[in-house]
Amino acid sequence: MEQLVGLVLLAGELLLTCGAEMYRVEETVERMGIAAGFTQVEIFATPTGVFISLHATDGRVYTRVRRIRHVQNNLATISEVNALSRSFSAGQISLDQVREELERLQKQENPGGLWSYLIGGLGAASFTLMYAGTWFEALIAGISGAIVLMIVSWLEHRPVPKVLQAATGAVIAAGMVTAAADLFQFNFDVVTLGAVMVLAPGVVMTTAIRDMLSGELVSGVSRSAEALAIAVAIATGVAVILSLGGR
Amino acid sequence: MGVQLLAGFVSALTFAHLFHVPKDQIVRSGVVGGLGWAMFLLTKGDWGEIGGMFVAGTAVAVLSELLARKWKQPVVIFLIPGVIPLVPGGKAYLTMLSFLQNDYLEGLELLVSTVFLAGAVAAGIILASSVFRVYSRARHVKGEVR
Repeated sequence: MEQLVGLVLLAGELLLTCGAEMYRVEETVERMGIAAGFTQVEIFATPTGVFISLHATDGRVYTRVRRIRHVQNNLATISEVNALSRSFSAGQISLDQVREELERLQKQENPGGLWSYLIGGLGAASFTLMYAGTWFEALIAGISGAIVLMIVSWLEHRPVPKVLQAATGAVIAAGMVTAAADLFQFNFDVVTLGAVMVLAPGVVMTTAIRDMLSGELVSGVSRSAEALAIAVAIATGVAVILSLGGR
Repeated sequence: MGVQLLAGFVSALTFAHLFHVPKDQIVRSGVVGGLGWAMFLLTKGDWGEIGGMFVAGTAVAVLSELLARKWKQPVVIFLIPGVIPLVPGGKAYLTMLSFLQNDYLEGLELLVSTVFLAGAVAAGIILASSVFRVYSRARHVKGEVR
């Protein structure tokens, strides 16, 4: 029984640390709890912690609290835990298989590496193009964006708050573009814009909207606040460099 | 125009990679983003930027919900990369610039415009996803899905 409780809790924790919406966390935990043989499952999930109460058939109630401190967006893990819980409740896979898979997902590190930074740089370049930049401007935005991602992902593995990560990234992006502006002629604004877009809090923003929609007010409001704080941090970072550069 | 359409697709595709969308779904989420951006470019002339954003947000959400059902994936897999091209980064940047240059009047105008653009995308997502949710709940109650 204890192991079952731990397993259900682990599924919820994994979803939360990967940035899933609250209703998905709650639905998955409920589905897994019922499939594991509990008569009643109560869950209260917030972005920073989760409470779970499982009622067993012998009348005992198991309650667990898990604090979530570190969030690292990974949509693939959300998709995998979702699929696991579905096939488990449909009786297609055994409990041991679920445990093995969940533990593998828990240990799994977010894939990073040079390739990933270069792809992120391509994203920065395409933003510059979307805002009517030239190919050369896109190239500079791409290079700066890739370097920013490299530094931010280094910071992610250290106890640096997200807001500070975003501000640091923005300072570095604007700094590099300012340096490049001394050497070449180009539209400064559209290049900086592209380079800082890699820091945009896309996951938090979208899940905030969806949380609000499903009536998860606590997490909807707190995620909106997080997205806003990150956006302001990016703007501040760029503004610092711009005012130092005397623009 | 062609370059901008392609850039919208590529931006959604690359952000899908950054957010670790499952490999077999990356191209689909890129297409969602590309189509959303195309909708915005096509409609902003007639309905203004805010109207265009609303239409694009709705289109992205509808596509994401449909694809999620077809491929048995969480909706966010397609929705998050899909809204990336619609993030009003340009307006937000200009807002910051105006405040920095002590042009508060212009800054406030741009700030309101940024908030409205972001709100229009959110409204589009809320509208589309609510309709889908009502539909799923109805099937849920009838016992067709569990």
